[in-house]
Amino acid sequence: MKVKFAALGIALGLLTAAPPLSAHHSTAMYEMAHPTTISGTVKRFEWTNPHAFIYLDVKDEKGNSVEWEIELMSLNHLRSYGWMRTTVKAGDQITCTGGRAKSGAPSMISALLKLPDGRELKS
Amino acid sequence: MKAAPLALVAAVSLGAVVAAQQPPAQQPAAPAAGESPYRIAGRLPVRIMSFAVEPTTIRPGEKVTLTWATENPTSVTIDPIGRVAPRGRQTLSPGVTTTYTLSVTGASNSSDKRTVTVVVQGTMPNASSDASSATARKAVPRTADGHPDFSGVYGYGAGGRGGPPPAPGALPTTPVLKPGAEKFKVVRADDDTGQYSSCMPPGIPQTFFVPYYIQLVQAPKHIVVAHEYLNLFRIIPTDGRAQAADPDPSWMGHPVGRWEGDTLAVDSVGFNDKTEINGYRHTESLHVVERFSRPDVNTLQYEATIEDPNVFAGPWVIRRTFPLLPEYDSLNEFVCENNRDYKPLFGKQ
Repeated sequence: MKVKFAALGIALGLLTAAPPLSAHHSTAMYEMAHPTTISGTVKRFEWTNPHAFIYLDVKDEKGNSVEWEIELMSLNHLRSYGWMRTTVKAGDQITCTGGRAKSGAPSMISALLKLPDGRELKS
Repeated sequence: MKAAPLALVAAVSLGAVVAAQQPPAQQPAAPAAGESPYRIAGRLPVRIMSFAVEPTTIRPGEKVTLTWATENPTSVTIDPIGRVAPRGRQTLSPGVTTTYTLSVTGASNSSDKRTVTVVVQGTMPNASSDASSATARKAVPRTADGHPDFSGVYGYGAGGRGGPPPAPGALPTTPVLKPGAEKFKVVRADDDTGQYSSCMPPGIPQTFFVPYYIQLVQAPKHIVVAHEYLNLFRIIPTDGRAQAADPDPSWMGHPVGRWEGDTLAVDSVGFNDKTEINGYRHTESLHVVERFSRPDVNTLQYEATIEDPNVFAGPWVIRRTFPLLPEYDSLNEFVCENNRDYKPLFGKQ
């Protein structure tokens, strides 16, 4: 699994990055203007309000494991996208795209997520 | 902790960055801005994962179970049931042979439809009806005592949209500070994630302005207003009692309801001074009168009139329109156990 920085749609220029209505807090602490895409193995999934969280085991280039904290939207948003508490399970290989922490910590908020079978879901 | 220069190409491996627990000593050149991931997510097409009924043939009086699953929808309906949740299960007992049509719409005008048919032996099929227009034709329900029944789950509000236009001479929708009260206007630092990230009650009316659902449950002498946000609730008496003389200061105030025709007015005092209202702090002298009405079955109209003689030059109002969500009958649990301290995530700018 590798960490990827995806410059998605560079030509589209600087766009504001707030979700339709940010659940609970702003996204100012995340680098939303420069989206990040990471892939890894789900360690656990917390199906909770005010935000759901995925803890992702990501391997760096040397094969070291780093635990990433992936913040998702709230349960009412996730349900409206078709999620349920079993949508993501421990052991799943997934890919998340969103904004990573400006601090450099292995933490991000994910806006969309690719499941093991290739389905993409808003997150 | 070295962060590799950020090549602006998708799928470039930058594993060293992953291990960075602290801001790197030398910040990499900022990559060119990309498209908001939420905008990208907003284009994901809608899809129907499954739509089934079991059994498909019954005798009159027997039951069937309808199940469905959709992903990335903006609307989901089953004709002839009406709006439904993106995933669900319903047990039905159709009296005649019936075809159910699951219709979804999503981003970029994407849509999909599937049908299932239940054959009820010895009957003929009904003509199909338009579920959405059938819902729209429903009258506002009323309780046994004649009041409109506000019970239901509602989505979060649109700012003033859908409501009646303000009457001439109506109260302003933005506050005017009284002289010397400028300190009550909230000014936030760049790394202040706002009044909500602390998981403390936002108070009234602000608890209505977060993107979480609300549920009203109406009883003859009370109405319960429950918020998914923090699972806050108020049990508001509507039995004609007077406001308490000197209630203790509290986060959500002390509400007393009264009916003004088909409008429920809720008068609240007894607030603490720890909450904000649309960017303004207030004192314990805050007085809020909320008015709830249901102009049609799909709409809850909300208006809050705000007064604080220590802060504002006069009363002002906030209006919101909350859409009925007939596909839901309960709220999610909300426990802030997993709440984060977001300030460390800002790092050095």
